[in-house]
Amino acid sequence: MIILLAIVGAVALALRLYVVLPIFSRRQQSTLDARKRRGKAVRSATQKILCIVLGSGGHTAEMVRLLSGVDFDRYSRRLYVVGDTDVISLDQIGMLESRRDGEKEEYFVGRVPRSRRVGQSWLTTPISVLQCFGQVVQLMYQHMPDAVLCNGPGNCVVVCVVATIARVLGIKRIPIIYVESFARVNTLSLSGKIVYLLADRFIVQWPDILQHYPRAEHVPNLV
Amino acid sequence: MSVYVTVGSTGFDELVKAVCARPFLQCLATRGFRQLCVQYGSSEDAFTPLQTGPGAFGIAVEGFDYTSSPQRFIEKADLVICHAGTGSILEALHSRKPTIVVVNRGLMDNHQDEIAQELAERGYVVKTEVGGLAGAVTGGAYNRLMPYPNADPQPIGEILDEETLY
Repeated sequence: MIILLAIVGAVALALRLYVVLPIFSRRQQSTLDARKRRGKAVRSATQKILCIVLGSGGHTAEMVRLLSGVDFDRYSRRLYVVGDTDVISLDQIGMLESRRDGEKEEYFVGRVPRSRRVGQSWLTTPISVLQCFGQVVQLMYQHMPDAVLCNGPGNCVVVCVVATIARVLGIKRIPIIYVESFARVNTLSLSGKIVYLLADRFIVQWPDILQHYPRAEHVPNLV
Repeated sequence: MSVYVTVGSTGFDELVKAVCARPFLQCLATRGFRQLCVQYGSSEDAFTPLQTGPGAFGIAVEGFDYTSSPQRFIEKADLVICHAGTGSILEALHSRKPTIVVVNRGLMDNHQDEIAQELAERGYVVKTEVGGLAGAVTGGAYNRLMPYPNADPQPIGEILDEETLY
């Protein structure tokens, strides 16, 4: 009886995953050219909450550049997820948000334990990942973002997993947009390999990666 | 003429040590440089500048650990020497200043090598290791680089808009 229930449960879960995960969707990926032909995407009037994941040095520098292509009037609230030891990213958020003059700035900085420090032992990594996971669940539940934009620091894997769980459980569909680092010419980062399975849009900045990752979209000169 | 050396948010002991040493300063002097500014990050112990004077081939050396606005220093420089981190490379590329990228062999991950190699092949930067830095300055190939195209992050906004339509 228990075995039967377990099988039914597993089948139900598999079906649910098949229906909601972007990797199984057959939707035609729109390319940059298609976007150009059609002109700017039609925008809904409602304002959105955008979750942005920042990480160490280079990742943050790239994200700051990417964000200059994002309309903060539309994404009127921003949730920044930042590692708890990352002072440089805090600095950058301050500079980024102060560029917008006039209106009241609406953003929130959520500091989470880093899921894995550079050089940290793989043995202790699961513990720090769990700590990070708990914090991210809290933050996401509190702010309920409409989309996640990330580009590869370790923490972004945790954020993407939480967003996917919310989708599988039917709580909210939170699209994930991942931009692989400018530094990745031929191969994906470890974060990239994992998030490739979860992301709705997976952007790479160099063309050679497309050979092995057909769901990826190549958009050059982003940063 | 001045040179700006930058190691970004971490450190790079060998590079910082090498640019403070006499052979490198002599190289700079023969190419007509008179000022050297070093952003040394966590490699403070490796930053051992010589007193300005004949011993330092007349080159004035200054240094600091970190800045949140590197553009200010890059603007003033005639040559940028940077580690192969993405942040520093992007700053240098978009400044359109001649750039020498120094790859850190000590790093486990070789993706820094990957990006430096790609950009060097396309003629946007000169790529070298610490051992070849003096040679790269003397060779002067950094004066014959291509300007890097302007960035356009607009598609990211459009992709976000497409995904959040509903």
